Amino acid sequence: MRSRNVIDMHLVNRMQAFGWPLVAVTFAFVVILGVGLIVGSQGPEAQAGMYYGMQWNGAIFALLGPLIGYGFTSMGQYFPLALGLGLTRREFATGLSAVFLGNAVIYSVLITSGKTIEKATDGFGLHVRFFDVFYTGTGASWQTLVQTFLLIMAVLFLGAAITAAFLRFGQAFLWVAGAILALIGVGIFAGVLLLDGFGRNLLEVMTMGWGPWMVVIAAIGAASAGVWLLLVRRTQVA
Amino acid sequence: MLDETKPLYIAVAEQIEDGILNGTHPEDGPVPSTNELAAFLRINPATAGKGLNLLADAGVLVKRRGVGMFVAVGATAMLRQRRRDDFARDYLAPLLREAAHLGIDHREITEMMEALQ
Amino acid sequence: MSAIETRNLTKHFRDVAAIDDVSLDFAAGRVHGLLGRNGAGKTTLMKLLTGQIFATSGEMRVLGENPVENAEVLSKTCFIQESQKYPDGFRPLDVLRIAEGLYPAWDQGLARELVADFRLPEKRAIKKLSRGQLSAVGIIIGLASRAPLTFFDEPYLGLDAVARRLFFDRLLADFSEHPRTVILSTHHIDEVSNLLEHVVLLDEGRVAISAEAEELQSAAIEVSGRLDEVTAFIAGADVLRVQEIGALATATVHAEPGSADRARAAGLQVAPVSLQNYIVHRTTAAAAAPVT
Repeated sequence: MRSRNVIDMHLVNRMQAFGWPLVAVTFAFVVILGVGLIVGSQGPEAQAGMYYGMQWNGAIFALLGPLIGYGFTSMGQYFPLALGLGLTRREFATGLSAVFLGNAVIYSVLITSGKTIEKATDGFGLHVRFFDVFYTGTGASWQTLVQTFLLIMAVLFLGAAITAAFLRFGQAFLWVAGAILALIGVGIFAGVLLLDGFGRNLLEVMTMGWGPWMVVIAAIGAASAGVWLLLVRRTQVA
Repeated sequence: MLDETKPLYIAVAEQIEDGILNGTHPEDGPVPSTNELAAFLRINPATAGKGLNLLADAGVLVKRRGVGMFVAVGATAMLRQRRRDDFARDYLAPLLREAAHLGIDHREITEMMEALQ
Repeated sequence: MSAIETRNLTKHFRDVAAIDDVSLDFAAGRVHGLLGRNGAGKTTLMKLLTGQIFATSGEMRVLGENPVENAEVLSKTCFIQESQKYPDGFRPLDVLRIAEGLYPAWDQGLARELVADFRLPEKRAIKKLSRGQLSAVGIIIGLASRAPLTFFDEPYLGLDAVARRLFFDRLLADFSEHPRTVILSTHHIDEVSNLLEHVVLLDEGRVAISAEAEELQSAAIEVSGRLDEVTAFIAGADVLRVQEIGALATATVHAEPGSADRARAAGLQVAPVSLQNYIVHRTTAAAAAPVT
């Protein structure tokens, strides 16, 4: 199975695959613990406020951030090497999908374990929230597992799709994509300002509950994966 | 090492011939294999093989199945005779041409040859 | 048997034809030279043949099949690219290990020997290697893979004379013992001319020459002597180049049977024209186009 070699390639640079994300997440975690210690010394009221506010803290993106970059690197650096060594695009796509799946499993289990411990120990005894936040799901542990898994898969495929599109269409893709995103942003802003009820409806959509949100994330991931698979079969190495 | 004015395989054949004439490759003895010759002369094995086959076709070398090529018995005499036949064309004609350019006549050439001996 | 056949193969990059209606055959089990100036289309042709880029039109068969997305063909093909990029943090050691897993005929013993011969610092990051060391990584993969079809694109870049000699001798020795099809693309024509059996010259994306190396090596002669004698000799001949210095002249002409003897009889000096010089003479753009 030649696709196995794609997995081997991604395991060569262990610091990039596991090291840096773990270093980053440890650093962010230590910072949060430090904040917990300082705020905790100011009494239980401050602590309760912190516990509520921290459900929005994005320190966990220290882990999720590098994973977005991982999708870029795979297409940008590993794809040309794989083709150079005689792998087909299909073999590369199969291998890389397995790599993404492995990443999503490892990190979603890691985050879910962290969250379970965090809840059981009352925020590590400091009333802090690091794993149990809005982005990873504040519900049950299984929900966090599903949510982080879907989120990580989505960002990995999105990164790969963006890079594949860039390789295929060049700079033009970045301009067009940037312009479309800007138009959407302007459209929403204009809608909120000018249309009656638009803002309220938007808020309702945004707070539609956990289930529908998972469907949205899964749809973004599936669409990215589809676009990536479509493009990667047509990508040439300049 | 090899004469560049001739096709490479002919130069290879001539080098083996030189070896036979000067006793490097005695009659009934083996000559280098295609790959050895290729590595030694830094040429493609196909070219080396073509040179060896040229000599085999001319009866200078004989193939022994599974062992390699050997110098044919009588090859030395055969080569010597052929080179004698070519001597006038290959060596005397250019010599006389140059002599004519320089205005050296036949008597002078003979004198020069005697002085060299 | 042909290792590679192309028919009317064409590749456009926007409106530029990098490969223009190329029909070629590369026989199996031989060493072929793929020559031409920078930008003549050599790398583009090799990328088409290894499925890295897609043809605009035309057909190709590599080891009997279409190579695009063909794992069967590609696992028997090794393409050593001058411009191969490696991911951050990769060391020669890592690339060799992965190549070992991908090429069925890989010879690990040979790879170890070559690493020692080229004094390749295996554990240094590839990004920190010199150009010559980077070339050595490619050469080691190209030789140790023992792929039935191996492309070397400018394997000599940055190598010193010792390493170039090493590559030549190792390629020759390994090719002798394990015959395979080798396509060698290089500007160092003189260094490899005795290794080539067949030569293809590309010029602006088209085939200028596809011929036996032996024919090309004796395809032209250089005659020199007095201007009037040279002028008389080359009248009616297919002249590639004439240079005059006062009353003397040197001319390169296509050789016909016996023309060297006739030139000598006419009192002219005759010298062989090396494959490299012949190729330079035959590259039409050489004189006209600015050097890039």
